[in-house]
Amino acid sequence: MSTDSDRLERQRNRNGWLLSTPALVLLAFGATGPLLIMFVYSFLEPGKYGNVIWEFSTKAWFNVFVQRDIFDGTLSPADAHLTILWRSVKLSLMTTIFTFIVGFPTAWFIATRPPRMRTLLLFLITIPFWTNLLIRTFAINQIIRNEGLLNTLLLKLGIINEPLLIIYSDFAVFIGMTYVYLPLMVLPLFASIDRFDMRLVEAGYDLYASRWQVLKRVIVPIVKPGIISGSILVFIPSLGAYVTPRILGGGRNMMIGNFIELQFGQGRNWPLGAALSVILLLIVAVALVVYVRFANRGDSNV
Amino acid sequence: MSAQDGVEARNARKVYGTGQEKVVALDNVSIVIKRGEFFTLLGPSGCGKTTLLRLIAGFETPTSGTILLDGTDITYDPPNKRPVNTVFQSYALFPHLTVAQNIGFGLEMRGHAKAEVDSTVEEMLALVRMESMADRKPTQLSGGQQQRVALARALAPQPKVLLLDEPLSALDLKLRKEMQSELKRLQLETGITFIFVTHDQEEALTMSDRIGVMKSGSLLQVGSPREIYTRPADRFVASFIGETNFLTGVLGKDAITLDAGGTLPLGASTQAKSGSKVTASIRPEQIRVIETDAPGSLPATVTESVYFGTDSHCHFALADGTEVVVRLQSPASGDVGLSRGQNVFLRFEPGALMVLEDQA
Amino acid sequence: MFNRSFSISRLPGFTTIAILVFVMLYLPIAMLVVFSFNSGTSVAIWEGFTLEWYPRAWANEQVKDATIRSLIIASTASVIATIVATMAALATTRRKQTRGQTFVYILINQPLMVPEIVTAVALLIFFASIKVATGYQGLGYLITAHAAFCIPFAYLPIRARLEGMDLTLETAAADLYATPWQTFRYVTLPLVMPGAIAGLMLAFVTSLDDVVITLFVKSAGQDTLPTYMLAQIRRAVTTEVNAISTLLLGLTVIMLTAFFLLTRKRN
Ligand SMILES: Nc1ncnc2c1ncn2[C@@H]1O[C@H](COP(=O)(O)OP(=O)(O)OP(=O)(O)O)[C@@H](O)[C@H]1O
Ligand SMILES: [Mg+2]
Repeated sequence: MSTDSDRLERQRNRNGWLLSTPALVLLAFGATGPLLIMFVYSFLEPGKYGNVIWEFSTKAWFNVFVQRDIFDGTLSPADAHLTILWRSVKLSLMTTIFTFIVGFPTAWFIATRPPRMRTLLLFLITIPFWTNLLIRTFAINQIIRNEGLLNTLLLKLGIINEPLLIIYSDFAVFIGMTYVYLPLMVLPLFASIDRFDMRLVEAGYDLYASRWQVLKRVIVPIVKPGIISGSILVFIPSLGAYVTPRILGGGRNMMIGNFIELQFGQGRNWPLGAALSVILLLIVAVALVVYVRFANRGDSNV
Repeated sequence: MSAQDGVEARNARKVYGTGQEKVVALDNVSIVIKRGEFFTLLGPSGCGKTTLLRLIAGFETPTSGTILLDGTDITYDPPNKRPVNTVFQSYALFPHLTVAQNIGFGLEMRGHAKAEVDSTVEEMLALVRMESMADRKPTQLSGGQQQRVALARALAPQPKVLLLDEPLSALDLKLRKEMQSELKRLQLETGITFIFVTHDQEEALTMSDRIGVMKSGSLLQVGSPREIYTRPADRFVASFIGETNFLTGVLGKDAITLDAGGTLPLGASTQAKSGSKVTASIRPEQIRVIETDAPGSLPATVTESVYFGTDSHCHFALADGTEVVVRLQSPASGDVGLSRGQNVFLRFEPGALMVLEDQA
Repeated sequence: MFNRSFSISRLPGFTTIAILVFVMLYLPIAMLVVFSFNSGTSVAIWEGFTLEWYPRAWANEQVKDATIRSLIIASTASVIATIVATMAALATTRRKQTRGQTFVYILINQPLMVPEIVTAVALLIFFASIKVATGYQGLGYLITAHAAFCIPFAYLPIRARLEGMDLTLETAAADLYATPWQTFRYVTLPLVMPGAIAGLMLAFVTSLDDVVITLFVKSAGQDTLPTYMLAQIRRAVTTEVNAISTLLLGLTVIMLTAFFLLTRKRN
């Protein structure tokens, strides 16, 4: 009897693997496998016209952090790379924090509407989420460019005499990323606020807490899992952003994504690009580990 | 103690929703609850008990009318400015805080010094006998323990009024009995006004100084448990508080001539006019079963006998078919010795028959 | 006394911020749409209403090519992704969780966790060597890449659908002498269908919108609509791009509405 059910179980497992195979093969060719090859490439010599020469080298990894002066051969930190890395992390953190500051009230507002209104507002948040990122960035571009709507309006109203130079700056990239990634913050926040028991707010007020204290001492600690999910969901794509900094940041205000692309284009240094990609992947992995840690700790609380 | 001491609602009306979905949860309720009183709101589901509590706590504002505390209008004061605390039906303990942190929350929010908060928390933990659980999270507690923490949390800031919305409904019978006496003890020790909501009429009768019976957003009767039980104002109150029998008849002078035959004396005078048709009520335990006819008794036939453990409920049919229930103490054998179809006589305790004032 | 009623769920400033967020979220998109009907080429000064940009965009051979290419890739990739995702979902739900399944689950969701640029670079490297080795330059690379990153988008709604499904239905069918294939064909498949269609639509939209991976994987002359637009935005802003954007936007809204209605009916 038990051998029978064992056999059945084994067969189900075998069928399971068989059914999963096409997806796994596709992912192996179209996503996961190439990541491993990329890792290998980061240890090769760059080819003269792009691509690589199959020779083991740690130069790419070395070059990520340290540069050798062309004239006297002295070593110094690779400022350019570190600046770009730092800018990417800084802009991503700023984006995460700001999307939280405006996303939290928005999620709260949606979650406290009557059911029908809530469905509608949620739908309104979801549309931009699924709308082409390029189009949304382009829309922001049209607003903040020098001859864009904002400047035209302000000039017409006589508030300014010269157009504000917003576009092609870190600030523009920050605005753009906040705009495009905001739904990623609002949706998980909404999910956790929606589960939140409003009677706890009543209990807070009942026990003499002010609105601010209720927010800080009751609401935020309890919806923390949603805050962490939202932050991760915004931080990861911000860090790897390519389209937004390209359209709004111009050539000088690169983020790591653009710099990686450069290595595969004009830079002709595939190993360096591969090494930088691995670093990006590592930062994401660290963020995910932190997330899992926090999320689990949150669970034991609630 | 001045006349206005305590909680007062004046013509409090609360309407939820608009148009078709409009619900009148409270319909011009006026009531005075005295300081230090254990007051119970009793009524069927949806009658507006919670709504009245929420108006007093400040979670809602009335559509019209006022709420006063010790003579001051607090209708529009936010809940965090009222010396009123609530024990929620679901307890609403903060899941991210420990038992001690939950209990200290109110004092902390009021800006009390840490040492003071700590000592009050100790005191409260002792009061509800939860000293050993101070560092647990609410999810690690049983229902009864959570209930105690909720109580301690609401008592810690020493409110003037404590609102308890069906705080015992989630507990099993034994724990419930225990907590009932615990609550009563706490109320006597602290002297705080308790406004207590329950579905359970027995709970209401045993614990309260006064009871308010509600139905569809209105207060039907307010009085001591004894008054409510022995002199119910109307058919609804009579049947909601304990079981009762209704008998119709024509009113005479201090007596009633029943439709089922016989004329019986009344327990108290009534405002109803002599000669009018009235309904009277009598409790099942105020009727005796006798074998032979005697003055003030009516012939009846046994229709059913139901065993309830300590007592049995026997159903009888009077001459005109009116059903009457009598509660008899079960003898040791468990069998009250009445069989279906048996003809007996029912003797009503003198003065137990009450005319109901509403004759709608 | 004037009514200072206290609302429990309201927090100061939250409503204002929320309304501002909704306005700011839609204002740029609305402007983009509005100016696609502008008779001038400015994106800030309104010069009159015209529909001319739409036919003009379509008359552009490059746009026409890119549109057709985008549609071919999106439909092929989303169909492939949905089929393999359905199979994988059947294999990974409604049974005891094993290590193998967790592994499959992580692999399937991997495209959601890895930054797009990293996947793009990795694919560039990988496909470059294949291109050299085989000489094949066709759309196969783009379709493979798109199908791969569309898998999680197709997988999630199907999985959700399967998890809400009553297992006994299949047992009942087997009890009534249905072969495993018949059970699948007449019981499981019809029940999974709404989830699969929802997944197909999400995959289609995802593929249609992709810029980064396409940009790195495509061979010369294989522009899709988004990569064509990216190049145009870089060069000069043209009202033509506004028109294309508006059309894409419309398509997304239609697909999403359909998706919402499809998944709503279930509840
Ligand atoms: N927020 C609300 N919106 C609309 N209607 C409400 C709301 N709160 C209560 N009601 C309605 O008001 C009426 C009174 O409700 P209330 O909660 O006060 O009843 P209750 O006496 O406490 O009942 P229960 O014993 O079931 O707790 C009910 O008909 C209820 O449906
Ligand atoms: Mg209630």
